Amino acid sequence: MSCILWKFSSNINTRSSSAVRNLIRHGHHLRGKPPGVARSLKQRLEEINYKNPSLHFRVDIGLPPPVVSRSTQLKERLSVVKQLRKNSELEKLARNKQLLINLEQANEEWLRTSGYYHIKKLSDHYGVYEHLFGDAYFLPVVPLCVNYTKADVKHPVYFGNLIKPSDAETKPEVHYESEKEALWSLILTNPDGHFTKQDQEYIHWFVGNIPGNKIDQGETIVEYLQPFPPKGTGYHRHIFILYKQEKRIDFSELKKSGPCLNLEDRTFSTLEFYRQRQEDLTPGGLAFFQSDWDSTLTEFYHNTLNMKEPVFEYDFPPPYIRPQEWFAKRRPFNLYLDKYRDPKQINKEFLMRKLKNVHPFKAPPPPLPYPNAVYFKDSVPQWLKLEKIKSRLKWGRINEIE
Amino acid sequence: MQYLRHCNKFTSRGLSTQVANADLNITDFVNRNPRNLERMRIGYKPDGYHVEKPGKCFWHKLNLSQSGRYVYATIEHFENGTVLQASTKEWALKKQLYKCIDSSAYYNLGRVLAERCLKSGLIEVYSNITPPKPDGKVAKFLEALQKGGVNLQEPPQFKPPRPWDQYRHEKPWEVTE
Repeated sequence: MSCILWKFSSNINTRSSSAVRNLIRHGHHLRGKPPGVARSLKQRLEEINYKNPSLHFRVDIGLPPPVVSRSTQLKERLSVVKQLRKNSELEKLARNKQLLINLEQANEEWLRTSGYYHIKKLSDHYGVYEHLFGDAYFLPVVPLCVNYTKADVKHPVYFGNLIKPSDAETKPEVHYESEKEALWSLILTNPDGHFTKQDQEYIHWFVGNIPGNKIDQGETIVEYLQPFPPKGTGYHRHIFILYKQEKRIDFSELKKSGPCLNLEDRTFSTLEFYRQRQEDLTPGGLAFFQSDWDSTLTEFYHNTLNMKEPVFEYDFPPPYIRPQEWFAKRRPFNLYLDKYRDPKQINKEFLMRKLKNVHPFKAPPPPLPYPNAVYFKDSVPQWLKLEKIKSRLKWGRINEIE
Repeated sequence: MQYLRHCNKFTSRGLSTQVANADLNITDFVNRNPRNLERMRIGYKPDGYHVEKPGKCFWHKLNLSQSGRYVYATIEHFENGTVLQASTKEWALKKQLYKCIDSSAYYNLGRVLAERCLKSGLIEVYSNITPPKPDGKVAKFLEALQKGGVNLQEPPQFKPPRPWDQYRHEKPWEVTE
């Protein structure tokens, strides 16, 4: 209704008042519903992203978290807190702002109590469950400690920290707590790296039928390969999953002999793998790191993988330019029309202009000391003068070719 | 979806293995990592209108709140909500602190949150928390976070240069230190 009001006002005599003239001059037209009635961006996004809960629900496929009797836990904790309150040294430290808690102890306790819920939230944020399992998730109940060592420097793997491929060249040390008779499988996959198929992952390491804690005694089904994120693609996730096995499983169909440097062979789908062995495997542990390109990867691609190193650049979407109008009022005509021309044609014209002053054998002319003070001999229109000054100052479209 | 254009052209080489790595026809590359674009500074960062209250322009934001007995610190993402949290209510912190809302509690909460941030790969987090007193509890918390290695300023979003832009800024992926 308010739209109609404004349109009607354009017929009003503009000589009547300056206020009316200003309104028409700035052309403020209310589009859509007025503020307060119209939906906010958040509300609109909610409506667009609405998912029916009976259709989109997630399934917990992991091990159950340890059940602790809340009453006994509360009793113990209350007694500990009472002791703390009586502790006068602690009170003195707290009062003088010098109390420093032991971070390792705090970390261990956190991993044992609320750690898995937090790690699950983080993994959701990084899209780990979405890309590996689809609609399933699991709580990483078994704390998994993975450490890469290079030149006596330890690079631990937590949940999303950055590790360069040069630091992850050799197998990491994996540590977790387990009973002696239990069997485990450890898989390291990269869901982001696949060159040809987008929904598949590359498997970097697979050790199956691990007795208890000892990774060395497990069957190496796919040998370890270092991460190789190509240049320009950004950060790739590399995810360690520890599965608990019910019984000894035969992985001979997935067995790859030798270092297996052929990338097609290393194509893997966690969802398919898990679907076929649902009854025997349960995911229990999770750890992942992010990896970026490194200069050592060039040699890796050339020597180890025997391929040319792929280099990528992000494909930005083209800029939004509003549809062209027949009569573009109060718009600089040269800048307006240039937006609708083929950019390659514009660059070609710049290049031709540049090449007119280039001699194949002589050196290029020295740069102008005072580019704004050069005299224009003939009568040059103002807009053309501005364009020439911009080219000399290296502003704007000249940077497309230089 | 993040599409990357391939720069180099491949030549096929005859090798005896099935489909050799060199024969892979690589044209486009899609990196599914949802945090990749944010990390590369290319991802969308919400801005809001310039007449609105500031504090909406972030990928990850730091929030600090206190109830009567405990302190809560969270890192929130603009889309996914709470991503990381730490509070003195957790038993891990409670059993080592004397009081859960004094300066030492704030400082240790900062240390714990910084450790968890680094472990999850969140090195830069936006924060618009200004401590009311320069030597108070909140200042201690922020100091602990910065000492722990978390940068409290996010880099600006890299927007690709339009052909008509005056200046061409350096691209973040071409910066080598």
